[in-house]
Amino acid sequence: MKTLKNIFIGLSLVFTGILLAAFTLPQNKKVGRPWEIPAKYKTMENTFKDDASLLKVGKMLYTKHCKSCHGSKGEGNGPKAKSMKTAIRSLKSAEVQSQADGVLYYQSFVGRDEMPNYEKKIGDDEDRWAIINYLRTMK
Amino acid sequence: MRKYIFTLSCLLVFAFGSVLAQENATEIKKVDKPVRSPFESGYLIDNQTTLIQPVKTLEFAIQHKFGSVENGHSDLWGLYAPSANIRLALNYVVAENIQIGLGVTKGGTADENALKMITDFNAKWTILEQTRNNTVPIALAVYGNIAIDGRDKDIFEYDYGFSDRLSSFAQVIVGRKFNDEISLQTGLSYSHFNLIDKGSYHDKLGVHFNGRFKVSPQGSIIFNFDAPIDLISLDSEADDYKNSKPNLSFGYEISTSTHAFQIYMGNSKGLIQQDIMVNNSNKIDLDNFMIGFTITRLWNF
Repeated sequence: MKTLKNIFIGLSLVFTGILLAAFTLPQNKKVGRPWEIPAKYKTMENTFKDDASLLKVGKMLYTKHCKSCHGSKGEGNGPKAKSMKTAIRSLKSAEVQSQADGVLYYQSFVGRDEMPNYEKKIGDDEDRWAIINYLRTMK
Repeated sequence: MRKYIFTLSCLLVFAFGSVLAQENATEIKKVDKPVRSPFESGYLIDNQTTLIQPVKTLEFAIQHKFGSVENGHSDLWGLYAPSANIRLALNYVVAENIQIGLGVTKGGTADENALKMITDFNAKWTILEQTRNNTVPIALAVYGNIAIDGRDKDIFEYDYGFSDRLSSFAQVIVGRKFNDEISLQTGLSYSHFNLIDKGSYHDKLGVHFNGRFKVSPQGSIIFNFDAPIDLISLDSEADDYKNSKPNLSFGYEISTSTHAFQIYMGNSKGLIQQDIMVNNSNKIDLDNFMIGFTITRLWNF
């Protein structure tokens, strides 16, 4: 009976530890260093800014290429996010949404470190702006 | 048969006509870009699509067909059956809309007790891409392969020559993305085996029909139907031939940025298309269906 009690206490401790680690580990991740954005992108114009017809395209492409890390609502909680060394910012945050379109374009498609380059996978400029326009709907 | 050839010819003429007619117009108009993702992968179950990935993309394909479901739970509906077929392949896009590839297929069955280890060299060229404003209303691709049967030469009968190992497949594919959900393809193919079993054809014409219906941004219902055409004029030697059986498959596809996963059920054991068109003896019957999957992984360079 005593052995059973010890096993029960031991297992409870293990599960509590796992539970606590599940909440604490992601918070230990560091946000990436500040981006160095080339001047060309800082002033880059979104040539499809008012094209509402691209929102569906943007959503489709976001779901295919971005959702697995950034999450379905852009909160940085996709299934792959847990395996990243760097914390993923919420795309809804003011920090992200206050960036110029060209800056988001650079970060999204040129990338760096764990944010891979998507220039070849998403070759069409119209498709890239469709994703940026979709990100803007996440405010 | 003539009807198929006539229909295909009309589509080709129409497509080329559209391109020529628009050639001058595009100089002053905005460029009509190709439609987005008519298919998610270059593979559709065990067939090809008109889609070719961007230049310098390497694609690794894993194709697998388990045993038939006829034994039920005793071999877990074929998942543990010994007659599974496997193909591993690499494809590389060498130029805009031109892809070359190499694949190795297990082939054979457990009762034959002989792995065929078929090596195939293949190429695909998408001649026309459908455009968003219908300047080009269809996609047109040609695909071909040459395959080498890798069995020990003692398996082959008298007068063995290397050419006995060879088979080939050539196909014209015409496709159209009708809307964001529906993309359909049809095709005409010619298969050839240098050496065949008694009662088979050396040559076989076939028609193909396949497509996808997208049900979510990443998920699609997919199907494929291959019909070998019984033309006696193609092979006078086979007096007691049996025409190979049509191949029907249906399944579900999930696509991500770098992967496409297709899980399906179909009634042909073959994984290279000439094998499907010439050697399929399984009727379309629930007992003959087998579970299979195709997975592709992409790398961009």
